[in-house]
Amino acid sequence: MAILEEPIKEVLELKNYINGEWVESKSKERWDVKNPANQKLLARVPMSTKNEVLEAIKTAKEAFPEWRRTPPLARVRCLFRLKELMEKNFEQLSRVQTMEHGKTIDESRGETRRGIEMVEVGTGIPSLMMGYNLEDIAAGIDEYVIYQPLGVFGHIAPFNFPFMVPLWFSPFAMATGNTFVVKPSPRDPISQVKLAELVDEAGFPPGVYNLVHGGAEAANIMMEHPDIKGMTFVGTTSIGKEVYKKCGETGKRAIVQVSAKNFLLVMPDADINATIAALLTSFFGNTGQRCLSGANLVIVGKDDGFYKKFLNAFVEATSKIKVGYGLDESVQMGPMQSKDGKERVLKYIEIGIKEKAKLILDGRKPTITGNYPDACFINPTIFENVTPDMSIAKEEIFGAVASVMRAKDLDEVIQWINSSNYGNAASIFTSNGKAAREFQYQVECGNIGVNIGIVAPMAFFPFSGMKDSFYGILHGQGRDAVRFFTESKVVVQRWF
Amino acid sequence: MIINTCSEAMSLAKELENKSAKFYQHLSERFPQNKEVFLSFMKENDNYITQIDRAYYGVITDAFEGCFAFAIDPEAYALQTELMEKASYSEAIGRAIEIEEKIVKFYTDAAEQSKSLMADIPRAFKMVAKKRGNRLSTLKSLPGKKD
Repeated sequence: MAILEEPIKEVLELKNYINGEWVESKSKERWDVKNPANQKLLARVPMSTKNEVLEAIKTAKEAFPEWRRTPPLARVRCLFRLKELMEKNFEQLSRVQTMEHGKTIDESRGETRRGIEMVEVGTGIPSLMMGYNLEDIAAGIDEYVIYQPLGVFGHIAPFNFPFMVPLWFSPFAMATGNTFVVKPSPRDPISQVKLAELVDEAGFPPGVYNLVHGGAEAANIMMEHPDIKGMTFVGTTSIGKEVYKKCGETGKRAIVQVSAKNFLLVMPDADINATIAALLTSFFGNTGQRCLSGANLVIVGKDDGFYKKFLNAFVEATSKIKVGYGLDESVQMGPMQSKDGKERVLKYIEIGIKEKAKLILDGRKPTITGNYPDACFINPTIFENVTPDMSIAKEEIFGAVASVMRAKDLDEVIQWINSSNYGNAASIFTSNGKAAREFQYQVECGNIGVNIGIVAPMAFFPFSGMKDSFYGILHGQGRDAVRFFTESKVVVQRWF
Repeated sequence: MIINTCSEAMSLAKELENKSAKFYQHLSERFPQNKEVFLSFMKENDNYITQIDRAYYGVITDAFEGCFAFAIDPEAYALQTELMEKASYSEAIGRAIEIEEKIVKFYTDAAEQSKSLMADIPRAFKMVAKKRGNRLSTLKSLPGKKD
């Protein structure tokens, strides 16, 4: 099959989108955005100046009063137009993600679709944002609650889902009457620029949606700014802790979705073929660079025959995964997004070897489909005989590495999962309803899968998380997001 | 090369539709007595592409097994759409039947293999397989089989 046409033909000089205008940054500092598959330069992204970040916040603050007064129905008409434009540009948006991130075209299209679904749910705001009331809470007195927007919200985006993750928040924020400032990841900011172009075309009033490029400095300005009422962040736990702390210090509400170490356990009664396909997606989809990826594969039970049969099937299927450039439709796993990311994975493979885990599939010398430099490529890797105390079982690798463990029974695995610092996701593969219910009941993780490899909540459900995988109270997406982006105002009313 | 990914399976579906459409266009010019039937097949092929695309783009998510759903050997569905210059009408219809049978098999197999994907995709494949099955009986009953 042919390589799909690349939508980015020349090197882009990225600009900020502030107050409905595309503005060139005055900053002299630029980062190169490279295609991780072929290392070609795609864009130069500015590290915006302090004044530019402040300008984006100021413009968002100024746009708020009028946007807030805009009827919800009129606000969501902008979202309807945005959705239409996203559908129209679906393929281009998807291919840009593959070019800047490296993921396969199927994965990019999946990301685009999920992003659109957030906008679709946001269009339901006229119903979702309704308050409630009760007559006669005392004689002749009525009480009701109104959900009101707060002002400016900020988002610091991760590199792993450069298009979708900001959309977990922005449609909800804007539909509820807030204004928004997004800072894309400087590693892969192009799809956010493309999205901002569509926001502009959809006719959102100037200042309602702003995009400002930058790194940690820009993020700090946003977190510390008194005019930003709330922040959303998706990234690592170490940075997320700082974000949460800073938001607390400045009185901001926050959604902080961070690292993970997800367990997937296979019971002896699992459907082997269906489970293997789900595991491949879970461990190696997006090249393992997602907070819902499988990390520890636990095969449960004392049956050696089942253990060997299942493990062999998993290793065999994994060894056949076709690695290459994501715009090649036949490719099943793309490169890591960056050389740094690859280095981190290589480091963990070394750690695994030192810890005496058994390396049964070594991806360090990648076989690549097509003629591409191996700068960011790595093949899927599997360790066997991993124990819960090993670093490779405890720490987030964020790459295509599966750590296979063996447990005597379900209780033992639940205890391992609950001992982990992280609590993002866990899945059980079984045909036994009782085991599945027990797992769902006992496990301290925010997103639970039963025969599901990637437990990605739909746009109308919250994207949950627990322990060191999430800091905050309300989550992104769904009704949680509506509540996060609004304040409850209670009115107690009596007429004499 | 075995096809594993959704994207590639969808491209193969489109390729089969486009190739067979071109074949029917040729038949409509060669055998004008059944021009309308052949042109209607061409139009249907476009609709099938739309339906398959709509199903795929409508439900593709990063969470399902999009890169690992299929094990399709495209060689098994390779279409012979070239007709000899002197091919008779019967031979042409025979070729059309062969093409349709292969495409029906492709959609049937693809529907079976994509069961783990969201329901829309196998349903779309099944629906096209069924409709193309009807086309087979139309081809077999076409009047004017004599050369």
